[in-house]
Amino acid sequence: MISDNELLLHHYGDGLDEAEREKITRELAAQPDLAMRQRTLVAGLDAAACAPNVLVPAEMHRRWRASLEQAARSEKSAASRDTHRASLFGSFQWRTGAATFGVVLLATSIGLGIYSNRDVVPGDVSHPAGVPVRTVGLDDASRYERGLQWHLASTERQLANLGSADGDERTRLVDRVIAQNRLYTIAADRANEPRLARVLRSFTPILENLADNHTEKREFDAGLSQLNFELKVMQARLATATSTAPTAQLLAL
Amino acid sequence: MFAFLQSRRPKSEDSFHAVLNERSGRWYNACLRITRDADLAADAVQDALLKAWGKRDDFRGEAELDTWIHRIALNAAIDLMRRRRPETEEEIDTDLAPAAPAASPENQYANRALGNDLATAMQRLTAMERQSFLLKHLEGWRLGEIAESQGTSVNNTKQALFRAVRKLRVDMDVWRGES
Repeated sequence: MISDNELLLHHYGDGLDEAEREKITRELAAQPDLAMRQRTLVAGLDAAACAPNVLVPAEMHRRWRASLEQAARSEKSAASRDTHRASLFGSFQWRTGAATFGVVLLATSIGLGIYSNRDVVPGDVSHPAGVPVRTVGLDDASRYERGLQWHLASTERQLANLGSADGDERTRLVDRVIAQNRLYTIAADRANEPRLARVLRSFTPILENLADNHTEKREFDAGLSQLNFELKVMQARLATATSTAPTAQLLAL
Repeated sequence: MFAFLQSRRPKSEDSFHAVLNERSGRWYNACLRITRDADLAADAVQDALLKAWGKRDDFRGEAELDTWIHRIALNAAIDLMRRRRPETEEEIDTDLAPAAPAASPENQYANRALGNDLATAMQRLTAMERQSFLLKHLEGWRLGEIAESQGTSVNNTKQALFRAVRKLRVDMDVWRGES
């Protein structure tokens, strides 16, 4: 008796060895009912898999275009810098890598600092001095929270320098912020904080627009104001959450 | 032949923008079916575009640019789902979960809603079952390719596919009044 699973794999032409495939082919040719069973099965699954397509929101399309344009711009900019400086240490890749490494190093340092500070809880009589008290969940949340606070403050500082930066310098600054922001977006994803990841991700198109030398001043200023506003809101929420709920709840922005 | 392949390599930003304008809807919808999350689907398409752009020199030209990005987007979608912690979507065997309601003569309107209820049937699949089914049945990937993308064995993927088919069939049979 040939099972539905075997009929399906035969239809796909995958997942069966040569002998099994030939056997089913012979049976299908000899038994019209079996062939009908296979067709019915496949048709049913076609219906299940079929779902109406939705239109791509215009905003998403714009975001994809902007990302592609930004990637192309960054590449041209890096190539241009490489040509001028002809130095490994002057390359965009190195700078981005160094910035990313710096972020990771700093976040880790902050995290380790907090961790070591919290190992001993002063005044906790149930834990004699010098005996570490491991509060893993709290430490992880704090490390992440401090890293995020640092990222938001650092982004705000870097954005403050944008207005006075010239074209290439501005692109370089924004590239650095985007790389840093991407790192924290991934961290938010991994920390199962989709809302936070989404907010951080939404910064990218605004940042990309800021890096674009063709952006008009009015549009540039509006983007910068919007981003500064978002950063302040996030920092305020984070500060409130920290003072009221020092554990994992603080990330529910 | 080499020159022919070279000529198909999409070096320019224009070729990427052209295929983005024309085919991004297809990529997005494919990712949406896999993730069931509009934001994740959009992120997957963006990741795919940037990866493809960054690796365009590796594009060998055997496939169309559209097909290449489509595949990268689906892999990105699976990757994003995995990063968002697999345990957020329960990987339990939902065979025991209730199937779609049984068809009845007085419930005529139900048949018109079949499309919606097939979507409901898809919701009963776990992420791995849904990925395995859609990538195999709709996208035509090899079982080995799906397993590699999911970071599992071919046998696990095959079993997930079989479970998906079994669940979908239960719902479809109920709606046809065959159970």
